[in-house]
Amino acid sequence: MSRLEAKKPPLFISEPLARDAVSQSLSVLSGILKSSYGPAGRLKQLHNGVGGCVCTTSQSSALLGHLSVSQPVLRVLTASVRNHVSRFSDCGLFTAILCCGFIENFRSLNVAPFTVIKISRHLLSLCLDHLKSEACGCRVSVDFSSVETLACLVRSILTSKPACMLNKTEVDHLTSLVLRAFIFTVPCHVETNAVLGKCVIIPVKGSRVMDSAVFPGLLIETPEIQLGKPLAVKRTGSNMIRIALFSVSMSGDGFNPEEGTVAVHHGISLEVSELNQLLSVGKQLVKDEVGLVVCQKVMHPSLKQYLKENSVLAVDRAGLSVMEPLGRMTGSQSIASIHSLSPGCYGTLKDLCIQSFASKHFLHLIPEDTVFCSLILCNRSETAWDELKRVCETAEHVLQLTVKEPLALLGGGCTETHLASYIRYKSSSLPASTFKDLDCSQTQYQLVAEGFCRSLESVARSLSHDGEEILTDMVYGHSWFVPSGSPCVSKWSDLVSKCGCGVNDNTEDLSWRFLQGQSGSPVIQGCPKELSPKVADLLTLDCFAAKCSGLQVALETANLILDLSYIIEDQN
Amino acid sequence: MAAAGSEQLRLWQEAAALAGAVCGALGPRGGRALLLRPTGEAVPTRDGRRLLEALSVEPPAARVMVARACSLRATTGDGAKSFVVLLAAVLRGLRAAGGGGAGLRRALRDFEAQVLERAAARGLRRYLRPAPPGLLEPLLEPYLAGRLGPGERRRLAQLCAEMCRRCAPAPAARPQVLRLLGRRFAELHAAVPGLPLASSRVLPGIVLRRDFAAYCPADGELRAVLVTESLRPTLTAPGVEFVVDSEGQYQASLSWITKRTEALMKHLRSNNIKLLLSSVKQEEVFIYYAKLYGVSVVECLSSEEMALISEITGVSPYARFGDNVDREITETAAVTFCQPLLLVSKRCVHIGFTSVSAFQPHCLILCGPVDGVNEQHAAALQEAFTMLQQLFRTVDQREEWKAEGESQSQASDDCIWPSSATQKQLVIENTCKQVSECQLEALSDERERQILDPDKSDLLVHNQKNHSTPVLVAHNTDTVSACECLHVGKGLGETCCHIVPFKQGESCAGIGQDYSNCFIEAGSVLPVGGYFEILLHYYIQDYAKQCQQSEVSIVSNMVADALLSVPKALYGTAERNGFTKFYLEAINLLRKNQPLPVNSEGLESAYCKYQLVISVLRCVTELLSIDLVIGIRRPLQKIEDRDSEDDS
Repeated sequence: MSRLEAKKPPLFISEPLARDAVSQSLSVLSGILKSSYGPAGRLKQLHNGVGGCVCTTSQSSALLGHLSVSQPVLRVLTASVRNHVSRFSDCGLFTAILCCGFIENFRSLNVAPFTVIKISRHLLSLCLDHLKSEACGCRVSVDFSSVETLACLVRSILTSKPACMLNKTEVDHLTSLVLRAFIFTVPCHVETNAVLGKCVIIPVKGSRVMDSAVFPGLLIETPEIQLGKPLAVKRTGSNMIRIALFSVSMSGDGFNPEEGTVAVHHGISLEVSELNQLLSVGKQLVKDEVGLVVCQKVMHPSLKQYLKENSVLAVDRAGLSVMEPLGRMTGSQSIASIHSLSPGCYGTLKDLCIQSFASKHFLHLIPEDTVFCSLILCNRSETAWDELKRVCETAEHVLQLTVKEPLALLGGGCTETHLASYIRYKSSSLPASTFKDLDCSQTQYQLVAEGFCRSLESVARSLSHDGEEILTDMVYGHSWFVPSGSPCVSKWSDLVSKCGCGVNDNTEDLSWRFLQGQSGSPVIQGCPKELSPKVADLLTLDCFAAKCSGLQVALETANLILDLSYIIEDQN
Repeated sequence: MAAAGSEQLRLWQEAAALAGAVCGALGPRGGRALLLRPTGEAVPTRDGRRLLEALSVEPPAARVMVARACSLRATTGDGAKSFVVLLAAVLRGLRAAGGGGAGLRRALRDFEAQVLERAAARGLRRYLRPAPPGLLEPLLEPYLAGRLGPGERRRLAQLCAEMCRRCAPAPAARPQVLRLLGRRFAELHAAVPGLPLASSRVLPGIVLRRDFAAYCPADGELRAVLVTESLRPTLTAPGVEFVVDSEGQYQASLSWITKRTEALMKHLRSNNIKLLLSSVKQEEVFIYYAKLYGVSVVECLSSEEMALISEITGVSPYARFGDNVDREITETAAVTFCQPLLLVSKRCVHIGFTSVSAFQPHCLILCGPVDGVNEQHAAALQEAFTMLQQLFRTVDQREEWKAEGESQSQASDDCIWPSSATQKQLVIENTCKQVSECQLEALSDERERQILDPDKSDLLVHNQKNHSTPVLVAHNTDTVSACECLHVGKGLGETCCHIVPFKQGESCAGIGQDYSNCFIEAGSVLPVGGYFEILLHYYIQDYAKQCQQSEVSIVSNMVADALLSVPKALYGTAERNGFTKFYLEAINLLRKNQPLPVNSEGLESAYCKYQLVISVLRCVTELLSIDLVIGIRRPLQKIEDRDSEDDS
């Protein structure tokens, strides 16, 4: 009997964006994201209600990864932001808030989605052209000869996630560690194709953040090592330590599962035969003056004992993740056969020592010249450590992206307000042919441009969480925060001291205006001015590549969602 | 009569419901639909075929409509949505005309022969122009406008055109390359979610979406072999027993295996082979020796990727000849470069092959914010290749037929092709007939069984052989076979069957009309934006006046009006009165015999459009001829091979 179940008819929903359920979910989601944004962002506690660990976070990757979104339209949005984060690590909340803002602002316009999409594409290209031009006032070029801009970039990332629970000294300490770790991964001798190395993060939970440290080379956790004894490692003639790397199991039970049968005569033990083979490998290793043997899998105790007796250090169960960096770092080839050893497989190390953190012991492998390093990362609690690890990885990724494209954007909301004022200025002075090309009227264009700018400004506004007023100036288009509860004064310059990114101060009169003006923001009379920031003054910087891509992805995703005229749901 | 009336009402209602469902996605201003699969994936699409299939309609007649729309789309790469809209309009017109009897059905057929054919040949044809050979964007952009969102179409049209140009630098090779692109597009593109569309690009060579098992940098030209089996010798095999006599013997055997693997690697290296492409996973020992001897290895290639590489390089997989490792390896492919490619955070394999055919391998990196968007873009591009292939078909066929010169002797009377490809316009009308007959035969009788098969690229050659006397074949189609072919063509007819008693002389609709197509050559184009429908509307009305039979003129007027439903739907979403304005302007031009304005939006294939009209008329005739729907217990066997690349 075939099981034939009647197929359920698909659910057909037309005009999904017009539905209340969608707009409600959208505003809930955008509320969650906006309240988490920035250094003063509120933390979210994620738990599943039946026990298990609780995650305290304000990061988009953790938030969106754990939230289960039922609205298909919003699932598209979250998937898109998560994809962005997996590519760039940074600017996830920016992308998500901006995308929500685009959808909310464009939907309320009485303009056909087709036209909105065309115009907003044009606005995006204006933004990107501006960001890529030399005259752009919200970007700085990163100088690699000094560490200050890079440090600012890292510090901005570390401080933007309050769930790491860091104080000022801890931030400074970690900033220098992350930078040092990154510099270790840059090769000293650059050939045509420079390949960056890797920083391996090693968890030590329950310790002070200030105990965190960075080491060149790799650390392998070795619980068996006895601390008291000095390390006696055999060295070669040139005072180096020869290392052999095995990716094959050395436990003596390595029979390859093959098809067919193997018949063994009575009295013959394959195990013994295997062990003999292993011991002969051991002999060969001793003869070849190998000082350290690392095995990815398990090593037979007899072999280990034999190597130890011959003062060869043996480490087993190293795991797959160590093998690749270990091979690259020592120049050794991981050996996959116990039947033939080629001398070309061995690598070398400069030194070996033992490092201990909290209750953990590590074997520290120090190479001659390396692009690998290990970052011992400590934090007090499990959840704060998880947050800190993600932040450090983000920082490393951002530094890598910055090496490729040595630019950064002003942080603290200044890039967003600057772009908005640039778009307002630019869109008021477009030639009529543009509107003809886009097949729209000038009014339509102005409406969409206003929605675009409001969405950008809503990101800057999300940085304020305690009822701070936000101002923008009419000269540079930066954003300024007025502490809440400030007295009424005649001059704004008495209240504001520095703009969001820290480039400008209140010495000259910049004619400040409220950003939240209901009657539409005023248009500045010229292009927002360019300035040459003094790096020492900078407070916050953002990753250029991540933000540019985030801006594009946010708009493309919003356009995709606005373009939906119906949903067909297969209910089977 | 009353029963027939209610039947027609039902048909119209079903067609109208389908049209209503796809209407929102029709035309350049149409919106997208989000398809939610049971797995939770959300895929945006505007493809008529996917939309219609996602609706999974129940009524048998509606399923026939969907199947016909999809089969048209499969052949021309376009038109499923317009098909449904036009079908609904024709059915509505028929209902309004109040007919439904045999008279009207006959009139429909006569209309095709007497009016539609003339309108196309004498009216429409004057406005057609040959497709511009070099420029692909004017054709691609309007096509993609019906498939993608307003922000994406231009960029994708550029990418698609760039891909075509770089894969086939010589325009003469284009039809052949387009076929390959359409067939193998899944392997010729790599999707990267999380990046903006602007990051998409065309790269030389092909990209395999996995990392090297062993990578050894090598400069300059190198050789590669394809492998389909594990190259490490084994101790035993299925059904083979290995008897261990002594420990020494066992160790010696294992050691022999290792030595043997090493010897093989040495042998490969001595043949200058530095790259192994394997469809299976190789043993760890093998990878170890590959690294030692400087041979790069890529494992776990899919059978499609293997086939693509074989097709590009003309190399077949290397076989291990027993124990004879010293044999010279002849089946090697020339590789210009072989390097890892970092697709944002994943390492992929990027290989440049020296091609043995006209196809210059290139790969498209498609970026979009989510996977669903990339999927939509890839599907649209693949169908665009089908559409272009359709457009360049005449040239294509001629070359193939020439190649098969001898075997085609019986058809050669008609097939005297001009020797120069540039003399395309000089096609003799007879040959034209031959072409169209074949295509129509394939459409109406052979059904999608062949046409839907994407791998049968040389379909038309086969058809030509089978139907060198197409009219005869068609006339022999009796009632039984007509019934059969109806079922064969039905992808959806699984739980019910339709029996269609044809009357004599009414058997297969459109047998006599096969000639009508020859007036529109496959490569001819018109400006987009509803001009085709307006032109046909105008000339049908023109010729209907000369028609004596009153029923035919009723049908003519009805079809002429129904044709306007497509531009109406196109302009419906734009500003008010947009259609009326456009209609009046166009009709004025026609009255004054002025040429159509050259519009900036682009061109579309008149051939595909004409196919659409014919298919709709056939479908109407078919639907009207059904008088009984019989439910059966057993599911009908699905014979045809569906358009596999879209079924994902």
